[in-house]
Amino acid sequence: MNVESLSERGARARRDEEVDVAIVGAGPSGSVAALHLARAGLSVVVLEQGEWPEYNDYTGARPEHELVSTKLWHPNPNVRDNPNDYPVDTSTTDINPLMFAGVGGSATLYGAQWMHFLPSDFRVRSLDGVAEDWPFSYEDLLPYQLEIEREVGVSGLAGDPAFPPRGPYPFPALPIGSVGLRGALGMERMGWHWWPGSNAIPSEKFGELNACVRRGTCLTGCPEGAKSTTDRSHWPLALKAGARLVTRARVKEVETNEQGLATGVVYVDANGRDRRQRAKLVILCANGVGTPRLLLMSGGAKNPDGLANSSGMVGKRLMMHPFASILASYEDPLDSWRGPFGQQVYSLEFYETDERRGFVRGSKWNCMPSGGPVGVSGAIGSKVYVAEEGRFQDFWGANLHENVARRFGHSLIWGIVGEDLPEENNQVVLSKDLVDSDGLPAPQIVYKVNENSNRLLQFNIDRCLESVHAAGAIETLVSTPVRESGWHLIGTTVMGDDPRRSVVDQWGACHDVPNLYIMDASTFPTSGATNPTATIMAVALRNTRRMIAERRNQKVA
Amino acid sequence: MSQDKTFLALADFLIPAHGEMPAFGSVCSFADAQKALDFRVDLKEGFDRGLDADPALSAEAHLEKLNKEDGAAFSAVTTIAICTYYMNPRVRELLGYPGQESVQYDSKATQIYLTDGSLGHVLARGRKYRPTPGL
Ligand SMILES: Cc1cc2nc3c(=O)[nH]c(=O)nc-3n(C[C@H](O)[C@H](O)[C@H](O)COP(=O)(O)OP(=O)(O)OC[C@H]3O[C@@H](n4cnc5c(N)ncnc54)[C@H](O)[C@@H]3O)c2cc1C
Ligand code: SF4
Repeated sequence: MNVESLSERGARARRDEEVDVAIVGAGPSGSVAALHLARAGLSVVVLEQGEWPEYNDYTGARPEHELVSTKLWHPNPNVRDNPNDYPVDTSTTDINPLMFAGVGGSATLYGAQWMHFLPSDFRVRSLDGVAEDWPFSYEDLLPYQLEIEREVGVSGLAGDPAFPPRGPYPFPALPIGSVGLRGALGMERMGWHWWPGSNAIPSEKFGELNACVRRGTCLTGCPEGAKSTTDRSHWPLALKAGARLVTRARVKEVETNEQGLATGVVYVDANGRDRRQRAKLVILCANGVGTPRLLLMSGGAKNPDGLANSSGMVGKRLMMHPFASILASYEDPLDSWRGPFGQQVYSLEFYETDERRGFVRGSKWNCMPSGGPVGVSGAIGSKVYVAEEGRFQDFWGANLHENVARRFGHSLIWGIVGEDLPEENNQVVLSKDLVDSDGLPAPQIVYKVNENSNRLLQFNIDRCLESVHAAGAIETLVSTPVRESGWHLIGTTVMGDDPRRSVVDQWGACHDVPNLYIMDASTFPTSGATNPTATIMAVALRNTRRMIAERRNQKVA
Repeated sequence: MSQDKTFLALADFLIPAHGEMPAFGSVCSFADAQKALDFRVDLKEGFDRGLDADPALSAEAHLEKLNKEDGAAFSAVTTIAICTYYMNPRVRELLGYPGQESVQYDSKATQIYLTDGSLGHVLARGRKYRPTPGL
C-alpha cells in the first residue's frame, strides 16, 4: 500500500472514541512519538494543522524556481500567507521565527544539517557558570541519537575530533563539492577545525527516500523526495503500525478535568467545526512557539495564566540562535548552485567558551552553496546576505550584471549559528490583536538579541573573514544578525526538577498535569549552537521509550 | 503610456545591456513577464500599480519614486523583471547556468579530502570537545 492510501486509512475519524495518546503536531518530534507509541501497541491520533506535502508543488527542478519559492516556500509564515499556518506577531522581535505547518513540520523547509549537541551543551552551568545543566548527559542521549540517525537515513563521516568517538553514519557523506572544498581550504590555511557535512539526506536510496541528486533546493522542499522528512521516513511506518493522522486539524485547547488531569484536546477541523479528541495522554509537539501558544490558550478560568504554568515559565526563555552569514566570492568557478543545501562542510573551531573573547559559549559554522542568480544578485527578497539599506541603483543596471558575474557560480556562504543564552524576557505571549484563520490568537514574539550574542557574532564574523580571505575571496558580504533566521525555536517550556522553576520534568511530563507531555525543543534548558533537530528527535525518542515502559504507572484521568 | 511600454522601459533601466549580457527587452517580452506574474498572483496588484507611471518621469525617476512611496509596487516590478530575465534560456546559456540540475555521483567514491591529506591535518590537530563524564 502506498503512502497516500495509508494516509486516507489513517485519517478516518472514530466519533467520541478515547485513544491512549493524542499528539499535537506531525513534525519531527510528533512523528517519532507516533511511530514508537503505535509500534508498542498504543492507540495514537496525531492532529496536524497542515496537510500532506505535495511533491509536485516543489519547484526546484523548474525554471520558475527562484520566483515561486520566495513566496510559496518562504520559511516565514507571515510571508507565505497560507491559512494552514498561524501568523506570528513579529512587531516586538529582532528575529523572525521561521516554521512550516504540514506532515513533516518545519523540516519540510529545513536544510537537513544533521548535528548532535556536544557534551558541553548538557553541562553549561558546571563548565561555564551560565544557565542550567541538563538533567541528562551527552552519553545518556547518544544511543537515542544513533537510533534516530538510522531511522532518518543520515549521511556523514564519523571520526570528527570535535565529538567523542562514535560509530559510522548509516550512509557515506555526500560529496562536498567545490564549495565545500573551498570552505575547507580557508579553514586549513588558518589551521582550524572543519569536517565534511553530515546531513539528513541519504546518499543512497533508503525506504521511501530517494538518493540525493544534488539539486540544491533543499531549503524550499526537495522535489526528488531525497531530503529526509518524516512524511517519508516515519509516517509510512507509523500508519502501518496503526497510528492515525488527522490533517487540517488545528488544536485550540488541551482540556483537563476537576483533578487537573488532561482528558484530550479540542480542535477545529478542515470544515471549521470544533471537534473533541479524548485521550488518556496528550503530547505537545508543536515547536517552541506553537507549544507555549497552545498552553497559553488552554486552562480556562481556573488557570488564567495558561495550562501547566504554575511556575510562570510557559513561553519564557525563548532561544532562536542569532545568526550571521558571510557570502564570499572567488575568481575560480565553484558551481555554487549545486546541492546539498545542506551543509557541505562545518566547523566547530569556536564552539567552546574561551573567556578571553569577551563572551561565553560559542558557535557552529556551516558552509553552503550560494544558489541561483536571482538570490546572489542581492537585488530582491530577503536573502540573508543582502544589504538592507543603500540606493536601489547599487543593485541594478550595470551593477546587477557585475554582482551576478562575480558571485553566481563563484561564491559560498558560511552561516554562523551562535549559542543563545536563555533570558526570561525573551518570550512567546499571545497577541492581543492578531488571529489565525480560525480566529485563535496568534503568538507574539518578544525577543532581543543580547549582548553576549552580539559579541559572539562579531568575533566569529571577524574570524570567518580571515578564513575566506585566506582561501582567496575577492568579495565578502556580511549580514548580522540576520532577521529572517529564527529557524531554531527552543526553550519555552523548560525542563527541570523544580516545579517552581520549570514546566516539565526530564521525561517531558508537565509538573502540573502529569499526563500532559511536551516533546519538542520547548523543553531544552539551553540551546547549544548546533542545529537542533537531531537532538529534538533523540529526546522525543528517549521520552517515548520511557512513556511506554512506565505506561502501567502513568496517572490518567 | 501602455503597460507593456512602461514595463519594458523600467526593465531596460533595471537590466541594461552590459558586456556580453543583453538588455531585458532584447531577450524578454512583456508577455514573458506576464507569464512570470502568473506564478506570483500575489504580486499582481503591486505590479499594476507600479506600471501606472507619470509619462513626464524618466524610468529612473519613476523607480526612485516607487521605491520611496510604494515599496510593494517597487518590489513587484523588480521581482518580475529579474526573475523573468534569469529564467530566459539565452540568459542562462550566457551565464553558464543549467538551472537546478540533477547531478549523478558515486556515493562510495573516495573523497579527495581523504587522499590529499587535508582531513588528516584536522585529525592531527587533536581532540576539540570538552569531555564531561562525572560532571
Ligand atoms: C528554513 C528552515 C531551515 C532549517 N534548517 C535546519 C537544519 O538544517 N538542521 C536542523 O537541525 N534544523 C533545521 N531547522 C529546524 C527544524 O525544522 C526544526 O528543528 C524541526 O522541524 C522541529 O521539529 P518539531 O517537530 O519540534 O516542530 P515542527 O517541525 O515545527 O512541527 C510542529 C508541527 O506542529 C503543528 N502545529 C503547531 N501548532 C498546532 C496546533 N495548534 N494544532 C495542530 N498542529 C499544530 C505545525 O503545523 C507543525 O507541523 C530549520 C527550520 C527552518 C524553518
Ligand atoms: S540537494 Fe538533494 S536533498 Fe537537496 S533538494 Fe537536491 S536532491 Fe533534494
